[in-house]
Amino acid sequence: MTVSTKPKVAFFDFTGCEGCQLTVIDALQTHADLLSAVEIVQFREAMSERDEDYQIAFIEGSCSRTSDEARLKAIREQAQIVVALGACAHLGGVNALRNWQSSDDVRRYVYGQGGKLYDSHKALPIQAIIRVECFIPGCPIDRNEFVNALKALLQHRLPRLPDYPVCAECKLNENECLFMRGIPCLGSVTRAGCGAICPSFGACCEGCRGLVSDPNIGWLRAVAVEHGLREGGFEAASRLFLSHELMESEGDRHGKH
Amino acid sequence: MSLPLIETFSTTSAYLPLVARIADVRPLTQLEKLFTIELPGDLSLKHAPGQFVELSVFGVGEAPFSISSSPSRSNGTFELCVRQAGQVTDALHALGPGDAVGVRGPFGRGFPVRRFRGKDLLFLPGGLGLAPLRSLINQVLDERSNYGRVIILYGARHPSELLFQDELTLWSAREDVEVQVTVDRSDGNWQGHVGVITTLIPEVQLYAPNTVAFTVGPPVMYRFVLVELLGKGIREGNIWLSLERRMKCGIGKCGHCQINHLYTCLDGPCFPYAQIKRLEEAL
Amino acid sequence: MNLQVLPKGALVEWIELLSARYRVIGPKRKQEVVQQQPAGDTQQPPREQYIFGELQGAHELELSYPSTILPPKKVFLPQKEELFSFKDNGHQVDLQLDERRTVIFGIHTCDLHAVLLLDQAFSQGAADQHYMARRANTTLVSIECLEPCSENAFCKDMGTWIMPETFDLHLTDLGHEYALEIGSAKGSELLQNLTNIRTATETDYWRFNQVISAKWARFPYRLEADLSELPSLLAISYRSQVWEELGQQCLGCGTCTAVCPTCYCFDVVDEVNFDLTSGKRFRVWDSCQFGQFASVAGGHDFRNSRAARLRHRFYHKFKYQSDSFGLAGCVGCGRCAEACLVNIKPIDVINKLHRKRVAVSGKRQEVMG
Ligand SMILES: Cc1cc2nc3c(=O)[nH]c(=O)nc-3n(C[C@H](O)[C@H](O)[C@H](O)COP(=O)(O)OP(=O)(O)OC[C@H]3O[C@@H](n4cnc5c(N)ncnc54)[C@H](O)[C@@H]3O)c2cc1C
Ligand code: SF4
Ligand code: SF4
Ligand code: SF4
Ligand code: SF4
Ligand code: SF4
Ligand code: FES
Repeated sequence: MTVSTKPKVAFFDFTGCEGCQLTVIDALQTHADLLSAVEIVQFREAMSERDEDYQIAFIEGSCSRTSDEARLKAIREQAQIVVALGACAHLGGVNALRNWQSSDDVRRYVYGQGGKLYDSHKALPIQAIIRVECFIPGCPIDRNEFVNALKALLQHRLPRLPDYPVCAECKLNENECLFMRGIPCLGSVTRAGCGAICPSFGACCEGCRGLVSDPNIGWLRAVAVEHGLREGGFEAASRLFLSHELMESEGDRHGKH
Repeated sequence: MSLPLIETFSTTSAYLPLVARIADVRPLTQLEKLFTIELPGDLSLKHAPGQFVELSVFGVGEAPFSISSSPSRSNGTFELCVRQAGQVTDALHALGPGDAVGVRGPFGRGFPVRRFRGKDLLFLPGGLGLAPLRSLINQVLDERSNYGRVIILYGARHPSELLFQDELTLWSAREDVEVQVTVDRSDGNWQGHVGVITTLIPEVQLYAPNTVAFTVGPPVMYRFVLVELLGKGIREGNIWLSLERRMKCGIGKCGHCQINHLYTCLDGPCFPYAQIKRLEEAL
Repeated sequence: MNLQVLPKGALVEWIELLSARYRVIGPKRKQEVVQQQPAGDTQQPPREQYIFGELQGAHELELSYPSTILPPKKVFLPQKEELFSFKDNGHQVDLQLDERRTVIFGIHTCDLHAVLLLDQAFSQGAADQHYMARRANTTLVSIECLEPCSENAFCKDMGTWIMPETFDLHLTDLGHEYALEIGSAKGSELLQNLTNIRTATETDYWRFNQVISAKWARFPYRLEADLSELPSLLAISYRSQVWEELGQQCLGCGTCTAVCPTCYCFDVVDEVNFDLTSGKRFRVWDSCQFGQFASVAGGHDFRNSRAARLRHRFYHKFKYQSDSFGLAGCVGCGRCAEACLVNIKPIDVINKLHRKRVAVSGKRQEVMG
């Protein structure tokens, strides 16, 4: 399978911290051959020229303003493949924490009296607005996963995400489970792929890669309580990255969809 | 069972594919293509009908496919009928003559052809199930005088999904083969039978004690076909199926293909119903 | 029996001698990374954890370790291993076999039994040369456990608390010395040039027997059913409510199979280079506890609930492998019980099934009597 011309790739940022784009820049340094395979035509973080002719769009950040929606739709129009890059685009990210409150409250809190002038609404994963072919989860993304996803796209296939929990990778790294030290961890409901990097460095998994497809949240909650986490503590911990997914599944349960 | 290709690489690694060449690609339907694969040197696959190979598209992965050509017609080449269904099969469909693929196998237990001599043979392929049964059918036809009646009841969902139409025509034209084809849903041009495959069975007159039946198709089909065949009085040991499972290694190591205590890749994929009927995970 | 005696101090010299010729692996302390957590947290200091790892010298070797997080299978079947590399779209393939000469120190008898089970699995039929190459180039120095390593271990029940017939070298702690049994030529090769070793005397044999017989009473039976009954116990428990109950709890995390010394299921994945024509094929650990393990293209999943997957693990361990190899698929090491977050433990599961059976047959007798 040979690709005659290099596919054109563009990067876009919405509401996010640009940490994922930094990881991409990092990947460009470590994988010099990447640039022999694709042509980057738009990347605000790294270059000033722009070209609106691209096939693959990497989108970082969540959609949190009405004006974002039109921009997303325009990108969708042009791109053959849309990739959600990182937790914000994939899940709404940390930004979605505010979704538990009303948008008016959030605006008043963040912008004070002028809040009404801003068009920000709930922080949504871009999939809530446009069709997305491919997801690269994580906050920030994993460099190797990005590189492998790009290779898969070059092979004309969609990369497949692991569908088992972070605990699996945590064990491959031969870590003692953090629960044994009284540290609650979301690894057992979070989709693997990061190599369990946080637990391997002694920090709990915060669920930045989103839920596995069949998460056993009920029992994890029980485990957390058994290991001394106060009631409600699990909810607090899981909101950091999983707000949107948890609200969606609540919605499912109450038949809102 | 002889495993000739395994022997050629057993001194190195059972996971190392033999590099083979695609000799020909023929589209059969929207989703299925027939690949002719040519082995290097003067190697030949020496398979039994019903056995499978693991085929690699290097850089994408490996997947199991039943060998669709008959051993009696294989001469350094063999055929696979592949449905586009995911990563490996998509990549395979993008390849053409001259491209390299990896081959490991043949693996598993095929149909013990010798045992069926003198018997009436009833074939019931559903959809893609014709791919493995075609191997056996053509083998039987090439030594036709060894067998009693040959009856083929083939069902597909739609006329456009019928595989090997040219061969079906050839078989139908023969005096010594009884062929019936049915589709679940017809289209304007379809003149033939409409209805699921099981609707064909009651119409066939069989001498059950001398009949061996072969059925390959999706899991849901088996339940209904089995009821009909058993109702006809065919013995459980004389009803053969081929089961699909997830497979990675093909040699009983990776664990994916387990059906309770059996390994589909070693103990199957072809089983007599009697052997699996009590297995909770089989059907 | 050919018994040798080795002063504990001689380990330093021995490991030094071996390091010149072999990669030497043994149980050692794991350095846990500890992060400062916010004050007022529930955090406790990490417990001592042990892993099998390459030894820089005898000072790292912890022969009286309780258990390791991962079993020694990772030496023969690494978490991720390259099977081969390919170039030019596969027109050229290059096999990877790891033939490094290796010694593993301090393998407990349960883990040794487990290695023999893996040997069976990987050598029968079409042999797995990647495993076999590592195995053939590895010599095992096992060690007798004198105390149960944890309350989750049930090696006595599984018959793995004592030596199997096949071994290379085996150590028994006699206090200031080790008794050393030689089980194979490969084993005795390790003793080359080792000066500080002597043949056992009458007194040594006596001490050795003392130690071994004192061990018996220290190890409790923990299963209420006998090893030989397990396959038949499971045979009648397929539809037990127990699996549904456990399925509700199970997180599907695959921790139990990763830490299990006899689990060997794997997946195979390709990685391609940016030229898209060259790359590598890897084998990686997989688990029957994962949702995708038995699913096929098109989405059909042949084991489509956590309950069914969990039941499969127990059946593979306690029935299927016994039926096909004549060796139980579980060696009772207790690692899975230790590591499972929701406390799914083989001892409890087997005992629960056993009690249900006893209750049922009791009732039947009442009816008949
Ligand atoms: C004995 C046997 C004979 C067969 N014969 C034929 C034949 O003659 N013709 C034919 O067309 N097909 C045949 N099949 C089916 C064929 O093997 C599958 O269609 C093929 O494996 C699909 O591979 P893929 O990579 O294209 O599909 P993919 O869906 O990409 O699957 C690749 C593998 O990954 C698994 N998988 C699916 N989803 C996921 C996920 N989310 N995460 C991880 N893994 C996943 C699949 O189960 C599959 O094993 C046969 C199967 C068997 C077992
Ligand atoms: S530390 Fe977290 S990821 Fe690791 S095993 Fe425990 S729960 Fe799972
Ligand atoms: S361990 Fe959890 S929080 Fe850390 S990178 Fe992985 S998914 Fe994200
Ligand atoms: S039994 Fe325990 S360790 Fe195993 S998959 Fe379930 S929760 Fe994880
Ligand atoms: S099943 Fe559990 S106790 Fe048995 S060998 Fe595996 S890890 Fe050890
Ligand atoms: S099937 Fe499951 S229990 Fe058995 S070896 Fe494989 S992973 Fe372990
Ligand atoms: S395919 Fe690997 S065990 Fe059968």
